[in-house]
Amino acid sequence: MITAITEWIDRQLGRGSASITVPVFDGALKSNRYIEDARVLATLDAPEDLATDGSAVFVADGSKVMQVLPEGLLEVLQVQGTITALACIPGGGWALGIDGQEVRIEGGPHHGRHWRAIGGQPFCAVNAIAIGANGLLMVTDGSTELEYGQWKRDLMSLGKTGRVFELDPQSGDGRLLAENLHYAFGVCSVGPHLWVSESWKHHVLDVGAGARCTPITDDLPGYPSRIVPATGGGAWLTCFILRTQLVEFVLREPTYRKRMIAEIDPAYWIAPALNSGNTFLEPMQGAQLKMMGVVKPWAPPRSYGLVVRLDAQGLVRYSLHSRFDGKNHGICAAAECGGYLYVIAKGSRRLLMIDIAQTEKELIQ
Amino acid sequence: MIHTASQTPSGIPPKAVLHETFEDKLNRWRFTYWPDHMLGELLAKRWMETAIPVAVLLLVALALSQILPNFFGPTNLADTGRQAGEIGFIVLGMALVMIVGGIDLSVGSMFALTNFCALYCMHLLKLPVAAAVTITVIFGALLGAVNGVLIGYFRLRAFLTTLITLIVYRAWYDILTTEYATAIAGGMPDSATWDFVGAGAWMGVPTVVWIYAAVAIFGHIFITRLRAGWHITAIGGSRRSAYNTGIAVRKTVASCYVASGVLTALGGVFFASRLSTAGGDIGVGLEVTVLTAAVLGGISLGGGKGSVAKALVGTLIVLLIVNGLTSTGLDGGYNRMVLAAILLLAAVVDIRWLKNKHRIVNKVYVSPTYHGMPPAPSCDPQSGTQWALNDKLRPALPIGLGRIEGPEDVILDHKDNLYAGSRHGDIIRFLAPDYQEMEIFAHIGGTPLGMAFDKQDNLYVCVGGMGLYMVTPDREVVKITDETNRNFKSINDDSRLRLADDLDITDDGLIFFSEATVRYEMHEWATDGLEARGNGRIICYNTNTKKTHTVIDDLIFPNGVCIASDGQSFLFAETWGCTVKRHWFQGPKAGTTEIVLENLPGFPDNINNSSDGHYWMSLVGMRCPAMDLAWKMPSFRRRMAKQVPRDEWLFPNINTGCVLKFSESGEVLETMWDLGGENHPMITSMREHRGHLYLGGIMNNRIGRLKLEGADPNWSQYEWRWAKAAKNSKGSA
Repeated sequence: MITAITEWIDRQLGRGSASITVPVFDGALKSNRYIEDARVLATLDAPEDLATDGSAVFVADGSKVMQVLPEGLLEVLQVQGTITALACIPGGGWALGIDGQEVRIEGGPHHGRHWRAIGGQPFCAVNAIAIGANGLLMVTDGSTELEYGQWKRDLMSLGKTGRVFELDPQSGDGRLLAENLHYAFGVCSVGPHLWVSESWKHHVLDVGAGARCTPITDDLPGYPSRIVPATGGGAWLTCFILRTQLVEFVLREPTYRKRMIAEIDPAYWIAPALNSGNTFLEPMQGAQLKMMGVVKPWAPPRSYGLVVRLDAQGLVRYSLHSRFDGKNHGICAAAECGGYLYVIAKGSRRLLMIDIAQTEKELIQ
Repeated sequence: MIHTASQTPSGIPPKAVLHETFEDKLNRWRFTYWPDHMLGELLAKRWMETAIPVAVLLLVALALSQILPNFFGPTNLADTGRQAGEIGFIVLGMALVMIVGGIDLSVGSMFALTNFCALYCMHLLKLPVAAAVTITVIFGALLGAVNGVLIGYFRLRAFLTTLITLIVYRAWYDILTTEYATAIAGGMPDSATWDFVGAGAWMGVPTVVWIYAAVAIFGHIFITRLRAGWHITAIGGSRRSAYNTGIAVRKTVASCYVASGVLTALGGVFFASRLSTAGGDIGVGLEVTVLTAAVLGGISLGGGKGSVAKALVGTLIVLLIVNGLTSTGLDGGYNRMVLAAILLLAAVVDIRWLKNKHRIVNKVYVSPTYHGMPPAPSCDPQSGTQWALNDKLRPALPIGLGRIEGPEDVILDHKDNLYAGSRHGDIIRFLAPDYQEMEIFAHIGGTPLGMAFDKQDNLYVCVGGMGLYMVTPDREVVKITDETNRNFKSINDDSRLRLADDLDITDDGLIFFSEATVRYEMHEWATDGLEARGNGRIICYNTNTKKTHTVIDDLIFPNGVCIASDGQSFLFAETWGCTVKRHWFQGPKAGTTEIVLENLPGFPDNINNSSDGHYWMSLVGMRCPAMDLAWKMPSFRRRMAKQVPRDEWLFPNINTGCVLKFSESGEVLETMWDLGGENHPMITSMREHRGHLYLGGIMNNRIGRLKLEGADPNWSQYEWRWAKAAKNSKGSA
């Protein structure tokens, strides 16, 4: 009751939960060009996820899994359907999310295991798989209502049906760890904790026993996606889209939002995207005006590239960016192997490679 | 698809599919008939600063008329009027001193002394009334001059100085009354004029009120319209800046204190005539009452802000309260406490209002309205229509790349030299034939926009922020016009031109030009786009009679203007309206407007002739579905204007554009784009000249030059126009 009143007051004054301000890029989040200037390993058709077993890096591209080798990419697996999540199982084999609706193990001792539902509720948008303690698979399902490719519709409809599961390849059982999340998109074990990206709430949760979720990071300036562990403790957090004040405003305008969803093609919504600048039919914000042929890199972006290095406590140590004037946007997956960070820029469909030691030396003076 | 001109002057052809839902229709109706924009314009007026004091006055008057039955009866009113007049003079003097940035605490003592002086002259010296009044006024001036010299010339602090003179004058008055009081009481003057001054009335209104009205009107004209009054306000605003601009600060400040003395003396004269007493407590605490009146009226203690109206309102409030409370039988102490409480309340509210007025006005001023359009035609490269995206502008070569900034319009003379405006207010000229050498042809200021040549090769330029100007071939800059007739339906004073955009000249020397918006300045074009209100107009300047008048009103950002082939009408584009219309100013159809093109997929800008009898037009930006939907939801845009910072607003997308050719009958013949936006991302104007098309953009750093295949290599727009005009006049002669 009290919260309802305070929320109403906040809405009238435009403050608190109704404020549309977005955290600024400052301190550890200060903008740079590391993702934009990163080395391009390959340009793929439909890259989705990355996985590593410690010595080799695999990328899921459409319905193929390819291994990243110094001389190029080698196809190692082909499945029926589009791969939406990938993880390497220790001891051999891969765990794949197929079309967002099935989790299947290919290769290794548990080859053939597959799950399509947990507790009667079928999978709908499986988007990340991680290996937890005791070899269990940790899986996030973004939404029970909309499929994986319709994440934008889920954002603009204020979806909150994300789930986190634990699957046992040995016994074939499954257990629901948390539900009713505002789009779960990324899971990772960091030490004894289980971190989950709750995208539309723009923070990372620590999922504890009994579905108790506590936010581990502050409000982030972007919507977090897949998380992978980092050597030395902590994790790499990818943010596939960025928050802007206009999108925050539209999320609080139900009439306009509903009409926009009903009448306009999703590619032209006032919503973040994986890439931008393709057509004039996309909405433009004031600071994106080109003056004398130059566009401001700090303009509010429709798409952005951001990878954040979190330490074991969830604090941001440093971050890598591709700004408004760049092309490598929509970082949805990352993997660390052999001192290098591999990321997928889904907006430009590129696989990028970054030297971690060199970057850290430059960023952390 | 061929668009035929509609028969209805206002609207959309009857067959258009508008995609309007029921809520849209309601919105359209509500926003057409309710003038939201008037609230912001009213609050922005200068006289709205007095709003709070006037409200307080009305409240007090209302309350008193309820509490005291006969408060507004004629005798009571006359008595109140007399007191108000006397105090009113002193408040006027105090207002003047406060506006110049000082304060005069000695008014009470000066009042007592000048009252004594008047009585001394009339009762003891038995002088005629005129002499007595003159001597008293001069005496008051001298008293004020002491303050003036000390504060104006010796730069002493006003508060301390007038406090000292308060004490000194009060002491002198006490000495004088002790000596002469009985003598004054004994020697009553026998003068009908003197009695008339204090107790007389003309047409029921007391003398003092008439004199006060005359002084107040002169004072208002003085402060608001005469140079000396502006100097006073300037000094009060910033003494150092006023000194730097050459205002005689010391003399003006001293004169204000002298004026305060003179006005106090006037008050003293009327008081002396009315009450004929020189008691010991006259004028004690008067400075507090006068200060209260001034502050209640809204005159700022910091200086630089104030008016006669505020002084008057403050005087009336204070007097009504004091008299009203006395009539209720309240003790003097309570009286002063109530007055102090009201002063506190009113001062706090007024200060809040003055400090936040501009912020409130900013929030309230933007008044978006309903602007519904059918879905835009598709520009898909595969669509096969004339709108299909292509790369025809890619071969355009740049002129002045990186050297010219913001050439909104380009034009060439008969020697093929190229002229363009720049955002520094210059007209830049590139010399033929290679256009490498660049020079400043003339400096006008503002932002030069549309251009045209007349028969004598004078270059007419619409300058945003300034008006319509002309540059002669000898580079002399002449202002043609910067004002038009005031439209009394608009609360804003729209007689000045804010954003003259494009022009064209008829064969008979009439210049038709567009003014894009009357509610916003040049740099706020995007706010006007957010509003999408019909804020613009087309204006006509007659070079023969040198008169300017408005031709068409309520247009949605009119931009390009081009005289049509019949010479009796002109085509004009409405940028946010996404239409091109044709208006006849002569002939059988004079006064009518028809639609030529509508529901364009982008925002039309300048229109110029093409060599094959058609018209070139640029689309400075393109429509997008999100903006089209936002234009149908004015409350959404108003909330966005209030809550979202301007850099993050949804803007009309002017990062991309195209050039199109259309016929007078409304058919789009071809469109030319720069698909990657590398060379010419935004285009505001194009001019065909000797087989080439020259492109300009207001946010570009180059001019483009494109070779047109199959175009007449000898054709130039104004050569052709004036040759045709000469042939027509010869033919008709």
